[in-house]
Amino acid sequence: MKEELLKKIIEKKEKKIEFAIITNLENGEGCIFEKDKPLDKNFEKHKDEIMSQFHKKKNGIIEGTNIFVENYIRPIKVIVVGAVHIAQYLINFAKSLNFEISIIDPRGYFASEQRFPGIKIVNKWPKEAFTEIKTDKNTALIALTHDPKIDDPAIQHAIKSNFFYIGALGSKKTHENRCKRLKESGFNDEQINKIFGPIGIKLGGKSAPEIALSIIAQLISEVYNKQ
Amino acid sequence: MKNSFDEKVLDEARDWLKTNRKVVLATVIQTWGSSPRPIGSRMIINDKGDFSGSVSGGCVETAVVRECLGLIKENKLFKKIEFKVSNENAWEVGLACGGEISIFLEQIN
Repeated sequence: MKEELLKKIIEKKEKKIEFAIITNLENGEGCIFEKDKPLDKNFEKHKDEIMSQFHKKKNGIIEGTNIFVENYIRPIKVIVVGAVHIAQYLINFAKSLNFEISIIDPRGYFASEQRFPGIKIVNKWPKEAFTEIKTDKNTALIALTHDPKIDDPAIQHAIKSNFFYIGALGSKKTHENRCKRLKESGFNDEQINKIFGPIGIKLGGKSAPEIALSIIAQLISEVYNKQ
Repeated sequence: MKNSFDEKVLDEARDWLKTNRKVVLATVIQTWGSSPRPIGSRMIINDKGDFSGSVSGGCVETAVVRECLGLIKENKLFKKIEFKVSNENAWEVGLACGGEISIFLEQIN
């Protein structure tokens, strides 16, 4: 690999642009492929296969060739509602797992830069916050305040936007009440049943890092479930 | 979870190059059976024998370092190597899991 190519790869990674590295295993030549950009002439012959593998986000050698495709994909967006203690541990786990966390919390004293260095914090009520955070069906929601005033509007937004994962902290009782409120607001059972509540897989732990781990474990399992 | 923008191994390769080290990238390009690390997993090796990242669960890293040092010595640009389970000394160079992997080594030039 040319040093120039390595530098370009690092640059794309830093700018968080989705791309693929294409390598010819026969002669060692390589290039970067990006959506809507022309493919390097040396790889023109395999254009269709490269595009197909890029769209499927599949890493590997194109069948019957010596062309290796390796995709770099955008991190999965995770919205955490509630800048609470558990959120601090979630962020630590997320760093090495390709998740991009944003925190929403209208309570300024919780959501401070000092408690969450380098993380996008939106100091607003969820309804307002979602006007400035772009979300879609590839977004996940982790609601941690167990305060209906804050969690409910965020959960409602997540259901309407078809988030692939919605989890809400709180006991079974808290969750039952939450479901009731959602029903009264006009959501149907199918929509409500998509919520993971109480959030997390059963590990048995009660401490903040243990709960964070159980949430992240559930989130990862749902990432693979949707693929 | 595929290759992440946060993966630091390539940044580290660039840092090694800045200090005038020779660097080889080793990338898992094919796997069969129960191989420990998925396609696209990467490791970097420099001419001092330092390495970072991984291509298996520790089963073949030593052999990969050896191959990479050979590549630098012979001044070759790339090479493909394969590892299968080896019964006699599975813990040394083969894959104890019974899987097979193929790894592409390329020198950064």
